[in-house]
Amino acid sequence: MKSLPRLLAAVVLAFAALAAGPSTASKDVVFAVASTFTTTDPYDANDTLSQAMAKSFYEGLYGFDKDMKMIPVLAESHTVSKDGLVYTLKLRKGVKFHDGTDFKADAVKANFDRVTNPDNKLKRYGLYSNIAKTEVVDDYTARITLKTAFSAFINNLAHPSGVMISPTALAKYGKDIASNPVGTGPFKFVEWNRTDYLKVAKFDGYWRKGYPKVDTITWKPVIDSNSRAAVMQTGEAQFTFPVPYELDAVLRSKPQLELVAAPSIVIRYLSMNTQQKPFDNAKVRQAIAYAINKAALAKVAFNGYAAPAEGVVPEGVEYSVKLGPWPYDLRKAKSLMAEAGYPKGFETELWSAYNHTIAQKVTQFLQQQLAQIGIKVKITLLEAGQRVEKVESWPDPATAPVRLYYVGWSASTGEADWALRPLLGSESWPPRLFNTAYYKSDRVDKDIHSALATSDKTKKAAFYEDAQQTIWKDAPWAPLVTEKLLSAHNKKLTGVYVMPDASFNFTEINLKP
Amino acid sequence: MLQYIVKRLLGLIPTLILVGALAFLFVHLLPGDPARLAAGPDATPETVALVRQDLGLDEPLPQQFLRFASGIVHGDFGRSLRTKRPVSVEIGERFMPTFWLTVAAMSWSVILGMAIGIVSAVWRNRWPDRLGMALAVSGISFPAFALGMVLMQVFAVQLNWLPTVGADSWRHYILPSLTLGAAVAAIMARFTRSSFVDILHEDYVRTARAKGLTEATVVVKHGLRNALIPVVTMMGLQFGFLLGGSIVVEVVFNWPGMGRLLVDAVDMRDYPVIQAEILLFSLEFILINLVVDVLYAVINPAIRYR
Repeated sequence: MKSLPRLLAAVVLAFAALAAGPSTASKDVVFAVASTFTTTDPYDANDTLSQAMAKSFYEGLYGFDKDMKMIPVLAESHTVSKDGLVYTLKLRKGVKFHDGTDFKADAVKANFDRVTNPDNKLKRYGLYSNIAKTEVVDDYTARITLKTAFSAFINNLAHPSGVMISPTALAKYGKDIASNPVGTGPFKFVEWNRTDYLKVAKFDGYWRKGYPKVDTITWKPVIDSNSRAAVMQTGEAQFTFPVPYELDAVLRSKPQLELVAAPSIVIRYLSMNTQQKPFDNAKVRQAIAYAINKAALAKVAFNGYAAPAEGVVPEGVEYSVKLGPWPYDLRKAKSLMAEAGYPKGFETELWSAYNHTIAQKVTQFLQQQLAQIGIKVKITLLEAGQRVEKVESWPDPATAPVRLYYVGWSASTGEADWALRPLLGSESWPPRLFNTAYYKSDRVDKDIHSALATSDKTKKAAFYEDAQQTIWKDAPWAPLVTEKLLSAHNKKLTGVYVMPDASFNFTEINLKP
Repeated sequence: MLQYIVKRLLGLIPTLILVGALAFLFVHLLPGDPARLAAGPDATPETVALVRQDLGLDEPLPQQFLRFASGIVHGDFGRSLRTKRPVSVEIGERFMPTFWLTVAAMSWSVILGMAIGIVSAVWRNRWPDRLGMALAVSGISFPAFALGMVLMQVFAVQLNWLPTVGADSWRHYILPSLTLGAAVAAIMARFTRSSFVDILHEDYVRTARAKGLTEATVVVKHGLRNALIPVVTMMGLQFGFLLGGSIVVEVVFNWPGMGRLLVDAVDMRDYPVIQAEILLFSLEFILINLVVDVLYAVINPAIRYR
C-alpha cells in the first residue's frame, strides 16, 4: 500500500492540470436563467423569460423602465381621438434595424398586420386582436384604429410582446423569423444553440449613442437551482434569476456576489369558488380571509421574501389602491363562520396551481390555519397538465370542481385592466380566462368596462378604485402575499434589474474589469 | 448466427408497431390540453383555438393517429409542439451528448465494478470483500442528485478544477460520468461478486485447481469467462437505462440530453416528442438485448443460436 499516497498525488496533479484558467475577455456577460427559451419571437411567446431575453434584440414602440413605468421607446409620442378609437403615433427618427433597414411607419404596419392576422396563429393574437387596421400616414407617423375603445391600449404596445421586427426580415424569413430575429435593439442575434445557450453581440448601429456598454450577452438556461447557484460562485455566470429563497444564505456569504430582493407585482391569493356552497356566502369567504396570518405565511413559506398583500391589485400596477393588509383576526373569523351557519366548520378541497416546494409549504400552512376555524381541507398540488384540465379549461362553470385554489398572477401590461378583468370580470370565467373564483359582480363589471371606454385618467382611477373596494369587501379571494424577486449578480456587473413583473431590464448593463 | 440476427431484427417490426400504438394512446390519455398549455393562462379561447389549429390538434384522434403512423413510415416524426421544430432534429441534437455520457460512465464503472466484484469474491469474507461491498452498498444507496451536487460543490465550486455545467469539452464529462457511473459500478460489483462466488464452487474450478494451475489462471481463465454471462446481461440493462438519459444527472449538470428533453416534453404535453422518445427507448432496448445475446455466444462458444 506504499504506492497509495503516490497514486493520490498523481490523481490530484491530474485534476489540477485540468483547472480552468479564467477567461480574459472583459465585457462578455453570462446570464444563468431557469428554463429554456420557447422562441425568440415575442409575438409567439407566452413565457416572461423568452420575452425578457428577446429584449436583447427587439424593442417596442413603448416599453417599461426598471420600475415598470411606461416610457416611449421607438415611438416619440401619441395622440388619441375623442372616441378613443384612433391612435396616432409619432415615431423616432434615425433608428436602424440590424439588417440596415430604416425603422419607419411601414414596420409598425407590417408587425401589427402580422399579429392580427389569425392565419399566422400567433400566441399573442389575443393581446392585439382589438386592432381593426394599421395605416402608414407618412414615414414617421402611423395610425392604429381599434375595433372598440380600449384605454389601456398603449400599455399593450408597451407589453414585451409588442416589438418591432424588421419588415425586410419578416418578408425574407416568414415563419422562420424565430431562428433569425432582426430588430432595432442594442444587441444583434448571433447564435441559438437550442440545447445550451443563446448568444447576442453588440450592435454598432444602435440608435442610443454609447450603448450598449458590453460586447456580448450569453443567455444560458441552467434548470437546477443549486447548479445556478454553483455557476454564480465559480464565476461562470454574472447574473442569475430566480434565486431560491433557501439558497440566500449561501450566496450572501460570497464576497464577490450581491443579492437583490426586488419588489414585484406578483400577487398570491386563495380564490374561492363563489358559485358553490359554502363559498357562495360572503361571510364564509371573509372568515377564511380573517383566519390566515399573512405575515407568518410570508415568513414560513417565503423565508421573508414576501409581504402581506395590500389590495386586489398590487402596488406598482397603475391604478392600484391600497386597501389592506386584511387583518388576522381569529375571533372575528369564528363569529363570521357561526353567523354563516357553519360554527363547526366544514370539509373542502384546497388545490394549488403549482407543485413546487414553496406551494407545498403554503398549502400546508393554509391547511393548518383553516383548521383553526374548523375547516378541514384536503390538499392537492396540481401538475401543469392537471391544472389545465381541471381548472383552466373546465367547460361548464356550474360543475367546476375547483373550490379553494392557491394561485398567483402578474399583470404584464402594468395596468389595472389586466389585473382585474381576466381574474374577476364575469366574462372571464374558465375556460375563457382565469376567474377561478367564478366571481360575478355587476358593479365590478360595469367599472371595468367604463374604465376601458374612457381615456380620462381621473375618471379611470375612480372606476378602478370602486371596483377594487367592491372586490375587497366581497372577498372572492383571500389575498395572501406579494412576492419579492430574488436575484444575484456579480459585483462587477451593474445595470441589470429584475422588473416587478419578473422580466429583466438591462439597458444600462455594464461590466467593470 | 447471421440468420439468427436477421430473424431477430425482423421480429423488431411488430414490437415497434405495438409500442408505437401504445405510446400514441398513452400520451393522448394524459390529462391536460397541450394547446391551452402552449397558449398560457392569460390566452383567450380564440387564441387557444388558433394554437390548437396550428398544432394540428383540432383533428379527430383516429386521423391524428393515421398522420402519426404514416409519418413514421416516411421517417417523419412530426414537429415538436413546444418549439415547432422537427422532432428528429430535437432528438438528434440531444442523442449524442447522452450517448457519449453513457459510454463514459459505463466504461469506467464496468471495469471498476467488475474488478471490485472479482476481488471481493476471491477474498470472500475477508477485508477486501468487506471494503468492496461497503463501497458498493454506498454506491447504490447514495442518491445520484446528492452525489452530483457534492461533486460539483467540491470540484467545481470549492476547488475550481472542473467546469460546473454544460457539455462542451471532455472536462465537462468527468463529474456527470462519475455521478452517473457510481450506481452502475456498485451494481456491477455486487453482480460480479455473487456470480463469481457461485462459479468458484463449481466442480471444474476444483478440477482446475487440482490440476495444479495457479490461482490467477483459475480465476481469470476458468472463472471469469463463466461468471460473465449474468454480468453481461446486467451490463446491457444498465446501458439501456442510461441511454434513456438520466433525468436527475442531466438536470443537475445541465446536460443537453434526452432526459431533460423528456421532462420538458411531458411538462408541456409535447405529444410528438414523447412518442418519438418512447419509440427510440424501446428500439434501444431491443437492440441492446440482441447485442447481449450475441455476446453470450462469443463468451461461451457452447451457446449456439439458430
